[in-house]
Amino acid sequence: MKKLKLSTAIAAIAWATISTSQVAHAGEINIIMEEVPDYDIVAKLTDQFTEQNPGITVNFDAMPFDAMRDKILTSSLAPSATYDVIIIDNPWTDEFARAGFLEPLDSLISSQDGYAYDDFVPALADISKVDGSIYGVPYYNYALGLIVRQDIFDSKGLAIPKTIEDYMSVVKSLTTNGMYGAAMQPQKGYKIMEEWKNWLYANGGELFDDAGNVIINNQAAIDALNQYIETHSQAAPPNSANWGFDEALRSVSSGKAATMLSYNWMLPALNAKGGMSGDLAGNFTLHEVPGGKSVLGLWSWGITANSDNKDDAWTFISWISSPEVAKQRAIMGGAPVRNSVMNSPEVWEKGYGKAYYTALADILDGSAPLSSGNNAEELIEIVGTELSAAVTGQKSVKEALDAAANGVERAIK
Amino acid sequence: MHIKYKLILPLVFLLSGIMLYPFIFSLWLSLQDYRLTRINDVQFVGFENFGFIATDQSFLNAMGNTISFVASAVIIELILGLSLALLIQKLLIFRGFVRSILLAPMFITPIAVGLMFRFLLNSEIGIIPFYLLRIGVSLDWFGPELALFSIVLIDVWQWTPFMLLMFLAGLEALPKTPFEAARVDGAGRWLTFSSITLPMLRPVIVVALIIRALDAFKVFEYVFAITRGGPGNSTETIMYYIYQTGFRFFRMGEAAAASILLIIFILVFVILIVNLSRPKVIK
Amino acid sequence: MIVSFENRLSRFLGTTAIFIAIILVLFPFLWIFLESIKPPSLGGRPDIWRFEPSWENWREIVFNSNVPLNILNSFFIALITVVISLICGAPAAYAFSRFRGFQGARYSILAAEMMPPAILILPLFLLLYKLELIDSRVGVITAHLTFVVPVVTWFLIGFFDEVPKDLEDQAMIDGYTRFQAFYKVILPAVRPGLAAAGIFGFVLSWNDLFYSLLLTGAESRTLPVAIAGFWTFRGIELGKMAVAILIAVIPVLILSYSIQKHLIRGIGGSGVKY
Repeated sequence: MKKLKLSTAIAAIAWATISTSQVAHAGEINIIMEEVPDYDIVAKLTDQFTEQNPGITVNFDAMPFDAMRDKILTSSLAPSATYDVIIIDNPWTDEFARAGFLEPLDSLISSQDGYAYDDFVPALADISKVDGSIYGVPYYNYALGLIVRQDIFDSKGLAIPKTIEDYMSVVKSLTTNGMYGAAMQPQKGYKIMEEWKNWLYANGGELFDDAGNVIINNQAAIDALNQYIETHSQAAPPNSANWGFDEALRSVSSGKAATMLSYNWMLPALNAKGGMSGDLAGNFTLHEVPGGKSVLGLWSWGITANSDNKDDAWTFISWISSPEVAKQRAIMGGAPVRNSVMNSPEVWEKGYGKAYYTALADILDGSAPLSSGNNAEELIEIVGTELSAAVTGQKSVKEALDAAANGVERAIK
Repeated sequence: MHIKYKLILPLVFLLSGIMLYPFIFSLWLSLQDYRLTRINDVQFVGFENFGFIATDQSFLNAMGNTISFVASAVIIELILGLSLALLIQKLLIFRGFVRSILLAPMFITPIAVGLMFRFLLNSEIGIIPFYLLRIGVSLDWFGPELALFSIVLIDVWQWTPFMLLMFLAGLEALPKTPFEAARVDGAGRWLTFSSITLPMLRPVIVVALIIRALDAFKVFEYVFAITRGGPGNSTETIMYYIYQTGFRFFRMGEAAAASILLIIFILVFVILIVNLSRPKVIK
Repeated sequence: MIVSFENRLSRFLGTTAIFIAIILVLFPFLWIFLESIKPPSLGGRPDIWRFEPSWENWREIVFNSNVPLNILNSFFIALITVVISLICGAPAAYAFSRFRGFQGARYSILAAEMMPPAILILPLFLLLYKLELIDSRVGVITAHLTFVVPVVTWFLIGFFDEVPKDLEDQAMIDGYTRFQAFYKVILPAVRPGLAAAGIFGFVLSWNDLFYSLLLTGAESRTLPVAIAGFWTFRGIELGKMAVAILIAVIPVLILSYSIQKHLIRGIGGSGVKY
């Protein structure tokens, strides 16, 4: 009896402590994914891939955004990659490519029949080009758009605002009787940066000028931040200085706020019958952000430079991002990245309707990435912290932006 | 006595391996410019990291936040914990039951506590603001004015039970005779408390204080779950600062320097407290 | 007449205070439980109290998610951490309790408590990475040992203090060596203390987020990290997170209930004599 206990104990300890092999064997690929609706779609579609490619086993490791960066990093620093395929958030692209974590894809792309690389929206494909080589292919976009309650706009005879000044006056006028014009997301860090940069663009500003100088504290930025703060105090729900995605979304879906800047693919979710908006479903429409230039977010597929299964990895990537599968993905509700998909009547019919895709195409046309270059992640955090300090009144606009500029300058060294 | 060294050998061996060695590595790390994204390009920079960190507004802000947090939280927990312990001692029925309920929060994983309160107090989907609004009270629990205080409250919810535990133990271990004598002498409640209970509890209070304060310095989960240091920098605690510098910005050398400065600070703090609390020996 | 105070006012206030404390403690638990059985579409709506209870969240978590694996990981990591802690800590605690010259030991245990995880995480992370042990349970166990071993040892000192010295003196007179006396006589005598300290250490390891967050991967992920993971891009999945929290919390509450008396005695021993 004692012997049995001892041996089971030893076996248990052995299992628990000896790590299972993390590296994929031949014919097997590990893919890191973000836990989002688009992942569910990819997972479902992968059954087809496995049927067509019985020699390849695909393992997904899905996790929240925050956990991904460190994992990709450790995988890339290891002698053999834990992940063969990774998805790359656009701020990470330059950094990872220059650190040698990513495999160049140029020759793989050009030798892939029927891949139609030029079909990808150019603004998106360019994000993954670093120092003349291609390191990723687009997976899904998360460009921001303006989502409005069309029924409210119609009933008050309001036109969709095209400039930021129009937007400000429209949302202020809508803020009466318990309704608020805009649900905003001033949460420190990523969220506020993502939202505010649209305002910056509307004023003609950017993080860097063409020569690479930091211009985050120029007049355009000061104006943009002042406008943002003014709108937040006059048209946003009270006690929302901390709001991120969830709160703003809830505010809009429960009918408390009339507009929000959000990811374009939130529109179908908001309009889904029996979904989060309850009776309000169907009343939401999507438009370009005021000012016409929106913040672009993009996830791309990439192959890790230290992977042992690069061929299988490319087989998967080229399949999932091919025109046919991309169309299927869009029909199942995925966010499109190819022109052919956005212009396809079949997608319009089985997907979310022509209005959504044409609005999306417009948005993608005039969009620019949130951040690029080295240490983009750090930049976003630094600027986002200063912006939040300004919105909550802890610093003046000028102080905050100057501090942001200093932080950025230090970070890019 | 040879055996006594043999007995402590496994412990010493273990701790040297898992603590001493990393600690020394940390010291080395703090003198390098070590970026996780440029791991083959590590450069010796001497005390440059220390110089930067010690004058960095964010670091000083994080230390300031942490100190205010620790001071407020520990003092509140001390008072509440002691009061509850005294009350529980006086309970005639259900003592075990009440005790087990009141001790429960300290055993929950802090990330769960953080997330629970994130929802309970969220201005849009939280149940507490919802009902407060019904009675006309509009508070932004995680807005710039209240955020750090809300984190303090969460810490108080979770860790007052620890103080309670310490004081229950302390009270239980007190000898009964002085209290008998006091009762016989007709001493009132307050007098008994201030001249007998409190002084006898002094060692427990000091130990509880030190342990809780040291633990409070490490506050991370609540910030991570709820505010991520915001709004602005108002809830950025030192642990979050180090985590962010090392694991989000990948500046490991600076993070190591910051943690060493932290340790020095804590050391000074502990020495101060221990010295201040030395009971004066009455011969 | 629940509380024994001299006058009715104090009695009333005392009782009320305890009631309030109990409500404050129980309310979040109640709320979390309700959220876990709400149908997913109603999650996070503060105004809804009446609804059809739905076990869908529970089903999802128990059958369809990685949470069972996370539980297993948390369990084994905590178990092994505690076993190692007891093996190294018990003899040392005994030595600290019995022999002269170890007054400093009680302080140095506190010194180990002083080490903020922040200082150890960086070297541990880099060392484990070089040894290719990231995303392994070994890595996490190593990290957990750094804070469990000191605490467990510290508690045990108090328990050993309570055992009268005569016990081993008698054993040694009967022919045992010091170590045999320790192993065969004293150790059984402190068994409840070992259990209490062990359970306390188990809970500490089970609850850790900071080290697990940075040192685990898909295979070795622990429960607290999984709970944090419900804060996803689609917003926080409140119902599922509630289930995960309850699963993490209930076993711990049961365990902790069983050791409360012992903890109080043990702390009383080592805490007062500092």
